[in-house]
Amino acid sequence: MTIPQSIHTGTLTTTGNVLLKVDNIALGYGEGAAEKRIVDALSFDVGLGEFISIVGPSGVGKTTLLRGLSGLLKPKVGQVVVGGHVVSGPHPDIAVVFQDYSRSLMPWMSTRENVAFPLQGRGAGKAERNKEAEAALEAVGLGGQGDKYPWEMSGGMQQRVAIARALAYNAKVLLMDEPFASVDAQTRFDLEDLVIDLREKLGVTIILVTHDVDEAIYLADKVIVIAEKPATVVDVIETGFGTHRDQVATKADPRFQDARARILTRLRHND
Amino acid sequence: MTLEMQAPTPTAVKAGRVGSKVNWGLTLQRVLALIIILALWQVAVVVGLLPSITPGVIEVFGAIGAALTMPTFWAALGQTLTAATTGWLISCVVGVTLGLLIGTIRPLDRSTSVVVEFGRAFPTIALMPVVMLMLGATMTMEVTMVVLASVWPVLVQAILGSRRLDPAIVDTVQIFRIPRALWFRRVLLPSAMPFIATGIRISASISILAAVGVEVLTQVPGLGRLITLAQEAQRWDMAFAYLFFAGLFGWGIATLLAWGEKSLLAWNRQSDD
Amino acid sequence: MKTLTNILWWLWLPVVLVILWWFASAQSTNLFVPPLQKIVESTIRDFGNGLLLTAMATSLVNLVLGLLIAILFGVIFGLIIGETRRLRLILDPFIHFFRSVPQSALVPLIIGAFGIGAEPKIYAVAFACVWPIMLNTIDGTRSVEVGVRQVSRVFGIPKMLYFRRVVLPGAMPQIVAGVRVALPIGIVVMVVSELFASNMGLGFYILNSSSTFRIPETWGGAMLVGVIGYFLVMVFSLFEKRLLSWYFKSAAR
Ligand SMILES: Nc1ncnc2c1ncn2[C@@H]1O[C@H](COP(=O)(O)OP(=O)(O)O)[C@@H](O)[C@H]1O
Ligand SMILES: [Mg+2]
Repeated sequence: MTIPQSIHTGTLTTTGNVLLKVDNIALGYGEGAAEKRIVDALSFDVGLGEFISIVGPSGVGKTTLLRGLSGLLKPKVGQVVVGGHVVSGPHPDIAVVFQDYSRSLMPWMSTRENVAFPLQGRGAGKAERNKEAEAALEAVGLGGQGDKYPWEMSGGMQQRVAIARALAYNAKVLLMDEPFASVDAQTRFDLEDLVIDLREKLGVTIILVTHDVDEAIYLADKVIVIAEKPATVVDVIETGFGTHRDQVATKADPRFQDARARILTRLRHND
Repeated sequence: MTLEMQAPTPTAVKAGRVGSKVNWGLTLQRVLALIIILALWQVAVVVGLLPSITPGVIEVFGAIGAALTMPTFWAALGQTLTAATTGWLISCVVGVTLGLLIGTIRPLDRSTSVVVEFGRAFPTIALMPVVMLMLGATMTMEVTMVVLASVWPVLVQAILGSRRLDPAIVDTVQIFRIPRALWFRRVLLPSAMPFIATGIRISASISILAAVGVEVLTQVPGLGRLITLAQEAQRWDMAFAYLFFAGLFGWGIATLLAWGEKSLLAWNRQSDD
Repeated sequence: MKTLTNILWWLWLPVVLVILWWFASAQSTNLFVPPLQKIVESTIRDFGNGLLLTAMATSLVNLVLGLLIAILFGVIFGLIIGETRRLRLILDPFIHFFRSVPQSALVPLIIGAFGIGAEPKIYAVAFACVWPIMLNTIDGTRSVEVGVRQVSRVFGIPKMLYFRRVVLPGAMPQIVAGVRVALPIGIVVMVVSELFASNMGLGFYILNSSSTFRIPETWGGAMLVGVIGYFLVMVFSLFEKRLLSWYFKSAAR
């Protein structure tokens, strides 16, 4: 695999093992008195190579939080620190896989061009771009399909392209916003296992946002539960599954069941 | 006329375009219709239903044949084509660049909206006498008139097109920190292209309209001038022949552009569900 | 407060442009580019003595009559062709051909045939405007839903009634859009035909003043035609929104 092997190296300064630090942030839309506060007093740490799920009901502010983490939305209070640098806008160490994969891919570009586009933005030459794009497509199981257009592909394949694009960008942190919410169940399982596989192979740090409790537990090392208005962290659960997962065995694991019961109670309690 | 039961039928345009298998029955009917129209015309001329100067079908066909062998005709066609395309190309470049800038820079958008609305609705041909005073009956004057008339559709469509950039794409471009110039060329322009293409098509027919209009009214050489000259010389058969070519020219350009738009913007049809 | 800021945003550029023109042209020694002040003065003078008002009335009457004829023929033929599938398929290329003829090329022919008066101008406008209206009407009949069509047939609704109460209202938004497309074309043809040969109307005013070297009047006339054209298009858009508000309302449901 020729995909980013440099993830653990580079100029990253991490305090202890913490790669990303969310420090007491508040997020909202609008200014001053007219502000609509969505997220408040929210903190958590993400270790290098860790897989974090953030779970919460629809409309609680998950997308808003993710926009805050990625530098698309400036926090009203507090800060997000990645690798020792305060995030003040979109950051080269952060890539995002958006909820609306079908709209975030550009229909006028082939799959390869879509994946290579961020590299072009960085000034990489054509040959290099295409090589990296092809490798990223290979990694998500779309090797040799670079000439297809997004609209010639199924939803699941389009989401793979979006993941490949984020991988090719070679960021240290991958943020994913309900990436599998609009594909069918089987595709969803395949994509979940693809992400677990990529994490294991590439060691990339992942923060995934979802409203699906099972998905949150199945994927993550650590589940962060957010609820309330404005949204804040109401629980943190270490799953302790290690790096390997199995759709049947893991979900039958008593630790999975316990975590599930705990989160569901927590969320019901907060209604 | 009967009101037959109808399943949702594709529009006439689409039906005519089913490229792979030619519908011979329909083609035959169209040829028949053409013959009937021409026959009616001929009868109307003979009976005296049309103004006395109207030439018969056969004379016009003769004139069309004659025009095809006349160097002056080809020269005139070339001049009209040159003026119209030069003006049209200038309009496309200027309209697209300005339109994308205006559409994406909010203060510029608000400031120019009245001017753009005014320019779009202004019948530019009215300015011809004034432009004529300043530039004379020259090719430059003709091209200027063509640009003044045809830049607006492209401009307006480019503004509309750039406004509809998908928020998901805006986020994507920010996250991956795409530089402005690259964004302009590879994101904004293609995203607005379906709108711009419509503007470019409208602007092409306006370019021809303006070029011919200028030629009809002034001494600038071209197809329009030939029509005026034929009318002044009472050569009605030639005038009709030139008119036919003007129509063929306009129709040819429109068809060519529609076809080009269809094949270049395949992604747009596919991804619109 | 908010609307005031908006108005300022909208108006500052046009105002600045006019002021720039005013001062930049004030010292103009170019015979063909008179000071804006002179243009305005001559226009006000000719409005005062009625010259421009009569010219305007003549031009507008020609335009409106031509447009009405185009609407009448365009809608009637459009409805018939649109409702007769076979006719529609057969005539499609011919209509598209006529629509593509640069309308300005017709002017010498029509004026040559019918002379210099008002009549040929009306015909020219009508002939130029009829095609977009007809094409849109044909498209409009396609938007009458199959269900409605079938119900009308099942209940044996008489054809005239069917046209008047089912097809026409269903096609109305498209018809109005066709008139909106036709209006600027009509204005252009009106101007061209008057500039080509006339003894009345705004085109004549422009032509006459330019051939007698009254340059400010030429400019004034040209600008006036443009402004009138602009207002006609604006007024029509407002009218269209009003007329079709029921349509937009029902589409928004
Ligand atoms: N651009 C915006 N302006 C104002 N309010 C917004 C905006 N985007 C989202 N919201 C509001 O923020 C809240 C949380 O939305 P979101 O973050 O999308 O939730 P989730 O992703 O958890 O479903 C919702 O009440 C939504 O209406
Ligand atoms: Mg969301």
